[in-house]
Formats: sequence, structure tokens, C-alpha cells
Amino acid sequence: MNIFRYGALAAMAFSAGIAGTAAYAADTSYAQLQRGKSLVDAGDCVSCHTVDGGKPFAGGRPIETPFGLIYSPNITPDRETGIGAWSDEEFYNAMHFGTDPKGARLYPAFPYPYYSKLTRSDVDAIRQYLNTLPPVRSAIAVSANNAHRVSGLIWPLNYRFFMRGWDWLFFDPGEFRPNPKKSAEWNRGAYLVEGAAHCGACHTPKNTLGGDENSHLLQGANIQNWFAPQIANDVRSGVGSWSTDDIVEYLKTGRNKFSGATGPMAEVVGNSTSKLPDSDLHAIAVYLKDTPGAAVDAGSKPEQKIFASGKAIFADSCAGCHQANGQGVPQMFPPLAHNANVQSSDPATTIRVILEGAQTVPTSARPTASSMPAYNWKLSDDQIAAVANFVRNSWGNSAPAVSASQVAEMRRQLQANIAQ
Amino acid sequence: MSGPSVSRRDLLSVGVAIGSTAALGSGADARSYAGKMPWIPGEANAPEPITAGPFQFLTPDEATFLDAAVARLIPADDLGPGAKEAGVTTFLDRQLAGPFGKGSRWYMQGPWKKGESTQGYQSRLSPAELYRAAIKDIDAHCNEKFSGKKFSQLTADQQDQILKDLEQGHLKLKDSEGKTFFTVFLQNTIEGFFSDPIYGGNRDMVGWKLIGFPGARYDYRPYVKQHGKKLNLPPVGLKGRPGWNPNT
Repeated sequence: MNIFRYGALAAMAFSAGIAGTAAYAADTSYAQLQRGKSLVDAGDCVSCHTVDGGKPFAGGRPIETPFGLIYSPNITPDRETGIGAWSDEEFYNAMHFGTDPKGARLYPAFPYPYYSKLTRSDVDAIRQYLNTLPPVRSAIAVSANNAHRVSGLIWPLNYRFFMRGWDWLFFDPGEFRPNPKKSAEWNRGAYLVEGAAHCGACHTPKNTLGGDENSHLLQGANIQNWFAPQIANDVRSGVGSWSTDDIVEYLKTGRNKFSGATGPMAEVVGNSTSKLPDSDLHAIAVYLKDTPGAAVDAGSKPEQKIFASGKAIFADSCAGCHQANGQGVPQMFPPLAHNANVQSSDPATTIRVILEGAQTVPTSARPTASSMPAYNWKLSDDQIAAVANFVRNSWGNSAPAVSASQVAEMRRQLQANIAQ
Repeated sequence: MSGPSVSRRDLLSVGVAIGSTAALGSGADARSYAGKMPWIPGEANAPEPITAGPFQFLTPDEATFLDAAVARLIPADDLGPGAKEAGVTTFLDRQLAGPFGKGSRWYMQGPWKKGESTQGYQSRLSPAELYRAAIKDIDAHCNEKFSGKKFSQLTADQQDQILKDLEQGHLKLKDSEGKTFFTVFLQNTIEGFFSDPIYGGNRDMVGWKLIGFPGARYDYRPYVKQHGKKLNLPPVGLKGRPGWNPNT
């Protein structure tokens, strides 16, 4: 079974290679390049493939994974340090099968399980757009044939052949298949969410080996000390109370009357979704609204002593922006009442934002970023737990209790991040 | 010629001072920001609370003097605790041990002309040096006048008289200027009594409770329309207030 399956995969790769060579001819028209750029935007390629302060798409950014750091490669058309020497076939194989030109398995920090859903013509459009980028010779030696430089990956993931097993378990290469029972818009949304935009890479829970738990599609996941909230259609902890227009506004401007994008999502909005055409954003919204959500644990109200101190801290420290009634200031300071992430069963983002503050993303529609200061110096672990419990259980909110030791652990993790 | 005269030497020295300032200034760099204001996770311009423990500048004798003297400037009475109970001596100690005591942000070199009262602190001594010299001088004066007693051993009335004499410039001291010391000392005592408790004084926010100051609050909009009403807002300091503690 095992061997059979791998063999079938290899055969597919082989036949795809043959077919591609025969059918393919370069199209460098404006419309084609525009299509490629739009997909590169949707995929937010620039975020991972650019190191802080470096040239766009020239790679070198360390990507944190639960299993160690992985450095992104240079995807500019430089022939030696980028992917300029790759054939279009090799590029397609990387996108569709997660293999490099020598046939070695790539690590799924490169979200090929999602990109595999892209059509061949879309992958070609992406390649043609990437070919138009100025080639950058990267100082960091990322070899084109061994696209990922890897540091400190835990055993056995440091062995690339192990990734074959991973792929066998969690990866089904294959293009997106439209659902004929759904509208064209729904299918476009599904194609983007499950493909190029790879939303599930953060928002779908992972098993212990980092594979998606597809039975909990887009129901929220902890990723590198953030909780990427549920974006399926649950009212309390997902986008159930958001209209499609609310979702479009959030993805386009970084804010809506419910929330503001911070942390990794700020980067996604800034580099990716704010640049997508409204029609694509609307399609994404339609698909998300139709993705079944899961009701999450509502917990029980914290004990009176904790609640009272949390209330006092909130009144003195938080109410200035978030308002005494938790309503915030729409499009400026996120409301905490009925806030999906605040009510997630996993309090990681809530704790983290109280500890280190947050900044929303400036977009052309909303150019002024709003910032929240850090409270790590001001509040003890007990106090942060108390105020988190208060906001998670006030104004109609309900969520499980947060303990001081969870706050202490997050504090430790964030310190370790700085030390890195 | 009438009006103040300016000598050629004064002009020359001013010229040198300006010239050297300009030379220093050229190293400063301007920055411009585009897109968004810089923001770093977890970064806060946090105030530095004092460290607990023994005095860092004051000798035991000096601390005894200051305990007695601040208790005369802001005495404990039926309105509540005074400056001594509020920890003002600790506040003064930490201030004198730090940059304020060294006058590190002030120009502390010559020329030593007699300044005007409108020109602020004019002593050649740094504040720490001034406290040290003045306390020694005042205790020496008391020792002489009250047959071997220190300031702290005098009656309240005697202490008040000494302080008044200092304030009015009637008490000439050996190595320091009494009036200058009194001006700084009164100012620092008030600061200690009303500044945030993290700096050592205003213990339990007694200064704020005395005058009904609700502390470092961000937003009063919920109260704006409650004219003439007693709000009874508990004071809150930079590190919070007792009500923030879930364990009490």
C-alpha cells in the first residue's frame, strides 16, 4: 500500500512533466503577467521570501516552525542564487509536488500542499510574473538545487527523505476540483482559500507532525504563540456574526467594526489581501461564510475575586480605548465585546497582545495604524490572567479560564523569541 | 551709557560656548519614517521604580535630619500621614543618589556669577553636595545654639524657627547657602509627597488621597457629565492600585 501509493505519486509527477513540456509555451502578455502578480499577491509570497530589510523575494527569512527554523530561498530569477535556472517544469514540480529540481522533498513550511491545488496555467502565470522581477544575487547562500536552508530542525525532520513519509501521510497532490453544486463565486473563493492564499496554513489546526486536521478546516489554530482564530462560520468564535462585506472590509483595509489585523495577520493584509481585487475578496468571504464552524468551549465565569480585580484593571488601563462597555471605537480600537479571538478557547493571542501590545496594519484605505502599548512591565502574571478572564467573560462574552501560569509561560516564550 | 554693560571677555566666552555647541550639534541625525510609525512588540518606555533596600546616598545622621525636617514641612495631622510617613526621605535619598543629585542635566561649570532668582538653581554645588553641606552646617549651627543638640532633637517650634530663618535667608551657613538649600528642599519634599509611589514617596498614595487626586488615569469621558458629583475614584499609580491584585 505504502509503496504503491508512492509509486503512483512518482508516476503522476513523471507524466505531468511530459505533458507540461509538450503543452507549454511562454505567454508574457500584460494580462498574463497581471494574473501572475495577482496570484503572487494572493499567496503572500513576498512575506516569507523577503528577509527584514532585504530585497523583495530574495529570501533568507528564518521561518519559525514547531520543528525548527527554516530559511526561505531566493525566488528572484537570479540564475545562481535564485530560481532563474529552473525550468518551468521544475517550478511546477515545486509548486505541485513539493520537490526541488533534484527531486528532493521540500519542507511544508513552503505551503505546497495548498499550491498543489493551483491549475497549471496559474502556476505558469506565477512563474512568468516572477521572471519579470529584477534578479537579486543573495548574500545568503541559498542554493537553487537545495532550496531550503535548514537550521536546528529536530530529528527526524532534519532528514529530507523523512519528508516522503510526511507527504504520504498528509499530502495529496492534485488540482482544485470545483464543486458543481456551488456558485462560481463560491468556487473562486474556495480555490483561493484552499490554494494560493493558503489560509489554512495558520487557521486550520495541525496534528503533532504539522499536517492539517482537515476535519477542522479553518476552525482556528495555535501557531508560534499566536492563536489564528477560527474563520469558519461560528458565531461566537468565528466569522458567524460578520457579513460578507465585513470580511471584505477586513481583508481590504485591515480593519472593520469587529476587529483589526495585528501580528502575522497584519503582514498578510498588508502584503496580500489588501492588494487583491474586490471580486476575489468577496469570493473568499462567500466561501468562509459557507464553511461550517465549530462551537468552542465556553468555560465558566471566573471566581469573583479574580473577576473584580480584572474589572478594576480594565477600568483603569484598557477602557480608555476599548471603552467601559467593551465596544471599542469601530475601525480604530477593536471592540472586545463579542470579539471572536478574545472568546477563543485558546487564549494565546489575548495574553500575548496584553503582554507585548499590538499594532494594526496601515493600508491605503486606512493609512493610520493604531497601536496598543505593552503591559508586560506594568502587570503581573496574576493581573494579566485576571484582566484576560474579565474581558473573556464580560458583555456577553464567555470563554474558559486563563491561569497565571499560562501568562508566565507566554512571557517566557516571548523572551526566548527576543533572545533568538 | 546706561543699562547692563557687557565686557569683551563675556562676549568672547559666549562666542566660544556657541561655537562648541554648534560643533557638538552637527552629529545629531534626523530620521524620517514612512508607511507607519515604528513600533516594536513588547517595547515600553517604562518608568524605573526605585529599588528597595538601605539608603544609597544618605548617612544615618542625614536621614535622621531629613525625617525630622520633612515632618515639619508636611506634618502628620488629623488629615492623615505626613511627609515622613509617606517615605519622602527614601524618595530624597534615591533622587540624590541618581542623576538629579549630580545635576547631570544641568550646566555645572563656571563662570560663577551671582544669578538672578528667576534663573533657577544657581549653586556651584550639585544638589547632592548641597544637601550634604547644608545638613552638616545646620546641625553644627544647632549644636552651637542649643547646647549640643542636633536639629532632630529640637522641639517642633525650634525646628520651625530654624526652617523659617533658612527660608528668609536669615541663617548664614558655613559652606552652603541656607536659602538656596531651603528652596530646593521644600520643592523636593513636595515632589516626594505627590509623585508616583514607584519613586519611593507618596506611600499608599497618601498624598493623592489627601487632595482627592485620582491618579494617572487615561480617560475621564465617562465622568464628564457628572457635574458636582463626588466620584470617589480610588487613586491609581503607574503600577496600579490595591484593587488590581486578585490575591487580596
